[in-house]
Amino acid sequence: MDDQAAALFAAQGTGALPDHPALNGGRCKACGYIFFPMQHYGCERCGSEELEPWLIGGRGRLVASAEVHVSMNPRRPAPYVVGSIATDDGAVVRSILEVPADADLAPGTVMTSRLVEETRPDKGPFDLRFAPETGRP
Amino acid sequence: MARLISDLVPVYVVGIGFHPYQYASDTSYVALGLRAIREALADARIDWEAVESSYVANALLGMAVGRPMLRHLGALGSPIIHIENASASGSAAFRHACIEVASGISDVALAVGVDKPPKSGIFRSPTGIPNLAEDAIAPFTHFALLTDEYSRKHRIAPEDIALVAVKNHANGAKNPNAQRQKERTLEEVLGGKAISGNLTALQCTPVGEGAAAVIVVSEAGIKRLGLDPGRAVRVASSAAGSQKADNDLNPDTALTIETMARAIGEAQLGPGDLDVIELHDAFTIEELFYAEATGICPPGRFVPMLKEGAWNIGGQCAISPSGGLIAMGHPIGPTGIGQIGEIVRQLRGEAGARQQPAAKAGLAHMVGVGAVCYVHVLTR
Repeated sequence: MDDQAAALFAAQGTGALPDHPALNGGRCKACGYIFFPMQHYGCERCGSEELEPWLIGGRGRLVASAEVHVSMNPRRPAPYVVGSIATDDGAVVRSILEVPADADLAPGTVMTSRLVEETRPDKGPFDLRFAPETGRP
Repeated sequence: MARLISDLVPVYVVGIGFHPYQYASDTSYVALGLRAIREALADARIDWEAVESSYVANALLGMAVGRPMLRHLGALGSPIIHIENASASGSAAFRHACIEVASGISDVALAVGVDKPPKSGIFRSPTGIPNLAEDAIAPFTHFALLTDEYSRKHRIAPEDIALVAVKNHANGAKNPNAQRQKERTLEEVLGGKAISGNLTALQCTPVGEGAAAVIVVSEAGIKRLGLDPGRAVRVASSAAGSQKADNDLNPDTALTIETMARAIGEAQLGPGDLDVIELHDAFTIEELFYAEATGICPPGRFVPMLKEGAWNIGGQCAISPSGGLIAMGHPIGPTGIGQIGEIVRQLRGEAGARQQPAAKAGLAHMVGVGAVCYVHVLTR
């Protein structure tokens, strides 16, 4: 499995959101900046090298979505739907969405993370996606 | 305190030249670049021997492409500087050519951009930091997401955003240097190949090949070389910046707002003084974001004013009169320098069918992956 891809998310959730896989983000000990994904090079906001892993809960609100008709990567055949999600923990991520291709997704829709079977080689058994939280518009 | 380019020796553009932007061909980059440079030298009415320094912009050709091209003008031993800054490579080369002249180090400098698309995709060295779905979100999808966000926020129909492409294709149809020179109806734009979200192929820039060159000169250079000051266009300001933390979704616009304000302020103008604007409209939505970033209209008002004709040639401010990246094209290295060429042509009153009446001030803007941003204001 691709170590970098595996490092992006944790199958278990956070304490506050145990039922949805968490994102492996980071936090700057010097300025408190929350970022995703985790890295050890230095803080984008203040330059500190004092960075620590920080789990980001798999829930947020949809900012925008788009159905992709043309793929630049044969391992990601189109069509598929992608979205921008502002997480409850303050990070902003982009992800493939588990929704019908013609879904009309309103901004502000509550989205949660889930694991799906990975179809790309060398990326491990699962991929993380977001989908509308059941029962919440 | 750091000084501005307008605090230094005044800089003027005295020569512009192009190799027309076109789809990829067997023409060598050397031939593309030499045509643009020779046209710029002829336009400036100076000999190659007068050029003291050359800034060569490209992003796709690889290492050290300058001298194998410039030697055919006469290898006279002057300095050559290569500049790569993604889509803003040409703008960066222009800025640094201006800085060299403004500092007094040289009186005459060349900025030339030349590029050809690679045959096997654009290579970017990995950073070691992966991201979710990074192989699923190409630039056109990034801008499809921003189209969705803007259209819902401002209640603008995505079909109306496509009117940007109709305008820019109409302008490109009047530009012999444009890669796309065909007028398009809204139906043609919307009915073309679907790319991502509401973006269709005719709302996306074609990345082809070409070259653009400009000659920048000091006042002393104009006098020493006996040039016509009536054809010289002043570089009133130059501003540049890069993305800050805390802006993950639309860094280009946040950066553009800051850089625009500095450039327009340095030129001692207000947004309403701009007669001509060339923007980084690689995708239709970008023209909305960046035009509104100048302050020429409130956020959300660009499309209603577009429908009233405010941004047409002959309107309140001609935006992308060259055809912009959507119609003129975006060969990467040349693009920012080509924008300067269009502004100079407009301010001289030499733009023919594309002429914005009585144009006195023009602004050129490019962003590049990173993100980086460059804005220049030119005046007569």
